[in-house]
Amino acid sequence: MNTIIEVKDLYKEYPGGTKAVQGVSFEVQRGEFFGFLGPNGAGKSTTMNMLVNLVKKTSGSIKIDGFSIDTDADEIYKRVGFAMQEVGLDETATAREMLQLHGRLYHMKPAEIEEQIKSLLKLVELEKVADRYASTYSGGMRRRFDLALSLIHKPSVLFLDEPTTGLDPHARQLIWSHLRELNKQGMTIFLTTHFMEEAEELCDRIAIMDGGKIVTEGTVEQLLKKHKAKNLEEVFLKTTGSNIANEEVNLKASDPYTRNR
Amino acid sequence: MKYFFSDWYYLSIRNIKQIWRPLLALIPSLFIPVFFFAVNAVSLSAFSKVPGFPNVSYKDFIAPVAIFTAIFFSAGNAGIELVQDISSGYFKKLIIMPINRLTIVLGKLAEVAVQSILQGLIVLVLLFAVGVHFATGFLGVLAMFAMLILFAMAWSCIGMIAALRTQNARLVQSMFTLVFPFLYLTTSQSPKNLLPATFATIATYNPVTYIIEGTRALVLNGWGADAIWQGFLVAGVLFVAMVTFTLYSFNKTMK
Repeated sequence: MNTIIEVKDLYKEYPGGTKAVQGVSFEVQRGEFFGFLGPNGAGKSTTMNMLVNLVKKTSGSIKIDGFSIDTDADEIYKRVGFAMQEVGLDETATAREMLQLHGRLYHMKPAEIEEQIKSLLKLVELEKVADRYASTYSGGMRRRFDLALSLIHKPSVLFLDEPTTGLDPHARQLIWSHLRELNKQGMTIFLTTHFMEEAEELCDRIAIMDGGKIVTEGTVEQLLKKHKAKNLEEVFLKTTGSNIANEEVNLKASDPYTRNR
Repeated sequence: MKYFFSDWYYLSIRNIKQIWRPLLALIPSLFIPVFFFAVNAVSLSAFSKVPGFPNVSYKDFIAPVAIFTAIFFSAGNAGIELVQDISSGYFKKLIIMPINRLTIVLGKLAEVAVQSILQGLIVLVLLFAVGVHFATGFLGVLAMFAMLILFAMAWSCIGMIAALRTQNARLVQSMFTLVFPFLYLTTSQSPKNLLPATFATIATYNPVTYIIEGTRALVLNGWGADAIWQGFLVAGVLFVAMVTFTLYSFNKTMK
């Protein structure tokens, strides 16, 4: 394994003075399933958004697959897929149309796009509804399709921001099995989640963030031992202050497209 | 830059498909201009006999306003669609692609242009059916569409800027109401010499006046009229300024 995500001394201060991320450093190895946990407003989404350049960092360095976000953002965009917390789909398009469009915008060859569409629709079990408008999909189908959309260009790193929020246990299990399969194929996965069992089930290594800082990091076994806990939830509760007062202000500040709504 | 035009093309096609999805969404922006034309042409027809009114029928006088209104109304859709993309999160997917952000804005403008042509053509056919005559012929129709499309794209930027700066669907939707002061504080219903002095002054500073006068000259006067180049000049300047502001807002959105 070698390092695919390298984050050093990352800071984010929003206009208005909210310090969302304060000196975060970590590394993710190629092929690793990395969990990024923390209470609401801890700075997880801000950190993830900075990794893909959706939010500009205040200082620090970010490298993905050897490319710096400051100088080679386009190279990073080619290498990362991002399934966001809000399933952003074009409601007026069909799944196939969206996959085709994204393949073209990632400058893939037509034959390669068609082959990838076939394989992704099979992976997320949406072959039968590929020509239906996205607006007709159920919550679980939307999540699965969003996952397929983020994979169209065969990224090396997949960022997932709470990918199973709002799903029933069946749909969640289905997403988990897709993610395990992708990870088995060698894809690096960076996951944020509020579900401790999800992190325990899927992640090779976990970092827990609180108040804009990483408060602990390691494999599940290492974390349980280090914090003398029975399960990950206990580790989470012991290491995070769950500062509700900061929660709302951090959440609002973290998203450039919803902050003024 | 290698993929600039292909990216623009694919994004334009995606946006253009939204015009008729759903098909019913086209009806209001077609119905309203036809309704206004019919009501005004009938109820205000006697106005053409007022001393000082040009020697033309009121129907011909107001015909370019009907086409202009059809295009004006539909130009607001770009902002509404953009705020929908932002709200749903789809916009984020676009901006983390290895594409030039200008292609996202230009793709929206391509949709505005196509929708303007489609809606304008439907109203034009209706106008021909009721006997409206173009003094500048077929080339005049093309010139009118060119001027109106430039203006429609510039106007659509207002909605896109509001979408980018506020991400608020209600506010972007309410920008539609700006159409009315900009449309009625002009010479759309009456020549400037018959307007009250204050009204005429406002109309002089309202850029929409120059677009209406430019298109009206193509319908009524022929190629020699100064209003034609003035209309193109105003539409062109507005287009460049508004696209520049839209791109500025686009970049400002990233913090």
